[in-house]
Amino acid sequence: MHLTLEKLAPFLGSYYLVLAVMNAVFGYFLWEHKKNIRQAVFWTVVAGAFTIMASIAYSGQQKLMELVSLPEAFRGFVDGNLANPALYTIGTSAFLVTMFLFRKVLVQPVVAWGLLVLALLLMGLSMADVQFAEIVTKPDNVPIVAMVFLLGYFTWLATAQAVKNDERTARGEDPLEKLNNEKILVWPDLVYTELICMVAVTAVLTYWAVGLQAPLEDAASSVKTPNPSKAPWYFLGLQEMLVYFDPWMAGVVLPSTIVAGLMAIPYLDFNKAGNGYYTINQRKFAYLVFQFGFLELWVTLIILGTFLRGPNWNFFGPYEQWDAHKVVALNNVDLSQFFWLGLVGYMPKAPDGASEIAKFGWILWRELPGIIVVVSYLALLPPFLGLTIFRGFYKRMGLIRFMVMSNLLLMMMLLPIKMVLRWTINLKYLISIPEYLLNL
Amino acid sequence: MVDPKKMSVEEILAACRGGSSSSSSPPESKPALAKDEPSAATGKPAASKPVESKPAAGKPAGAKPGGMNTADILAAARGGAAKSEPASASDGPAPAKSAPGAKSPPAAKPGAMSVADILAAARKGAGAAKETAAEEKPAAKKAPPAKPAAAKAAAQAEPEPVSGAKDTSSILAAARKGVKPGPISKEEAKQRATATIEKPEKSMPVRPAKPAYAIPSPPVAAQSDRRDFFAVVAGSFLAVGFSSFALTNVVWLLGLARFMFPNVLTEPPSKFKVGFSANFAPDTVSDNFKAQFGVWVVNTVYEGQRQIVALRTVCTHLGCTPNWLEAEQKFKCPCHGSGFYKDGVNFEGPAPRPLERYAIQLADDGQLEVDKSRIFYSEKGEWGDSASFVAV
Ligand code: FES
Repeated sequence: MHLTLEKLAPFLGSYYLVLAVMNAVFGYFLWEHKKNIRQAVFWTVVAGAFTIMASIAYSGQQKLMELVSLPEAFRGFVDGNLANPALYTIGTSAFLVTMFLFRKVLVQPVVAWGLLVLALLLMGLSMADVQFAEIVTKPDNVPIVAMVFLLGYFTWLATAQAVKNDERTARGEDPLEKLNNEKILVWPDLVYTELICMVAVTAVLTYWAVGLQAPLEDAASSVKTPNPSKAPWYFLGLQEMLVYFDPWMAGVVLPSTIVAGLMAIPYLDFNKAGNGYYTINQRKFAYLVFQFGFLELWVTLIILGTFLRGPNWNFFGPYEQWDAHKVVALNNVDLSQFFWLGLVGYMPKAPDGASEIAKFGWILWRELPGIIVVVSYLALLPPFLGLTIFRGFYKRMGLIRFMVMSNLLLMMMLLPIKMVLRWTINLKYLISIPEYLLNL
Repeated sequence: MVDPKKMSVEEILAACRGGSSSSSSPPESKPALAKDEPSAATGKPAASKPVESKPAAGKPAGAKPGGMNTADILAAARGGAAKSEPASASDGPAPAKSAPGAKSPPAAKPGAMSVADILAAARKGAGAAKETAAEEKPAAKKAPPAKPAAAKAAAQAEPEPVSGAKDTSSILAAARKGVKPGPISKEEAKQRATATIEKPEKSMPVRPAKPAYAIPSPPVAAQSDRRDFFAVVAGSFLAVGFSSFALTNVVWLLGLARFMFPNVLTEPPSKFKVGFSANFAPDTVSDNFKAQFGVWVVNTVYEGQRQIVALRTVCTHLGCTPNWLEAEQKFKCPCHGSGFYKDGVNFEGPAPRPLERYAIQLADDGQLEVDKSRIFYSEKGEWGDSASFVAV
């Protein structure tokens, strides 16, 4: 499938038209129900602008289309200077932190609407770039795009509720969820909603099935792996993790730890607040840890894996051609090599003809630096944390619960730490014992 | 009041209790007035009564959940008996008495008659009936004597104002007490205790005799034998069931095992010839055998020695198939980006060890022969094995 601007034009035109209608409806809503004349006018003007963009986009002419696309220089800059995993991760983290810090402002409906329109606009402008459009409109990826927006919506909804509740709590009132306690409007409220949802979902699925080709690939072959070869979207975070870890770690140990850790949450949690209602202030630690693990370590990695990883699992900018021959200079080095070759000048190696046990001893000796680092990270850090910043936690949780929690936390932090180490010093493994398939 | 559609169960109950409490107020106040000031009460104007009892009716929210339970009523009766309450002053004519009770229906939703409502109505009715008798017998211990009792026992009194709505306890109470509804004196109670109530004989229709065909015949021995045939053979029906269950499972397992060995043979022979060594120019990677055999034949220099080796086309990370990139002179895995030099040694990405080598040798006819049944691992120091390469 090779997209061209002409093929894109009808889609882009309709896209902007939908945006125009959305904004017009929003303006009408503000006018009619909120009596907010000034804002209503503003959004209606925005709607008008989108109508103009729609007509430009419908034309499908190269010259005109440049008006509704991002400038070439900007795209080049993004691809050339910003497109690497380190900047991507730092950027998304900064973005999420900003969202968190300014949540009181950002969750206001009008502001949130503005952000949504901006995001959609940026996507529309980017879509005039054929490379970008090709990735985004791939039948595999369309649902992922939809889910990104869906996730944004639900995150906004939960945060807005939490912010409202936190303000109420600050004023000494009950959270919103407590006001209508015991009141569940089933008929017709809930039942009608369900009916409408059913109809809508059926319509979307039907349209989806008719409108998008199934993403079929070549017949399977054990000697041919598609390039790039991507996991199902929900596992792209794992696949990204596999770049930084041994298959045993990223494929077995860490996923199991994630599942076990999620199951352990209720038993580790000693904070009774926030039961049955949204809140952030009353459970800041839990909220931040979970959102970091979910949004940063899972969702952004899925987005990264879907849209920014191309052939040979290289990192590509959003507007960059997926070139299977892109050369990325990488040379990853184990910690033991850093230590022995860098500081001592040779690698310890078992003499020829040594017994198995002696060989094993030599291996341990070779990997000693990494073993020391890992053991102190997992065994010495928890008590240290318990005595310093997590003192209060330790007192309230007791020894075992605290140890479990801190170890889970440290396991979680392994991923970002290894990512940073890979980017900065090209570190491959802290402990590398390929002889026994044990690497970390 | 709230829109009925949006009323929660609690609100409905509260509303009902509000109604019921107002309707149950008469029994509450009555014993007190009956007992304490029989004479004084009669003197007072009837009009004062509704005013007095209204507070009780007026605050449904304040009413205890459940309105009045039996214990409450009893307590009220006793309390009334103990201390004289000015509140219940008027013991006016019956109509005046029941007035507050009659006022309650509008408060209670007609559609929403709960148990409490019914009880309250019954009690109110009882109160009204009691009314007549109440004046002379102030010592009532039982607050809500039921109407049926009044009808049955109190032959003296008036016709019943309300019919129906009798509950078991009131009937029992009336039956035990004997005759009269409403408060009675202790002496009377004693007298009545001896009185017995006659129960009407119940006449039942006579059951017709069973016809001959309906009388079960004694079981025939032969029949039971036939039925137990399988049980005799297999031990019991349970055994039959479990045996067949187990048998089915065994068949399933066998089928599953068979499924593991499909009727196809995809594997090419593990030993095959790839041509003469002259075909493999120095520092080249031959991609020709990848699709069929999963092998790269490489002519390269490893540890200072020029050799021809057969590399397995499986990534040592998670088993994808890397590609040979001629321009970059490396093997590159599409899954997580592991990279390998021409000699198979890993240098980038997560692959923890070099690619694996198959055994290779010079066959008798001078061709190179690859043997996939033997694998040599570099990390175990096996690449030094002379079977793992052909020196050129
Ligand atoms: S399978 Fe080859 S890099 Fe992961």
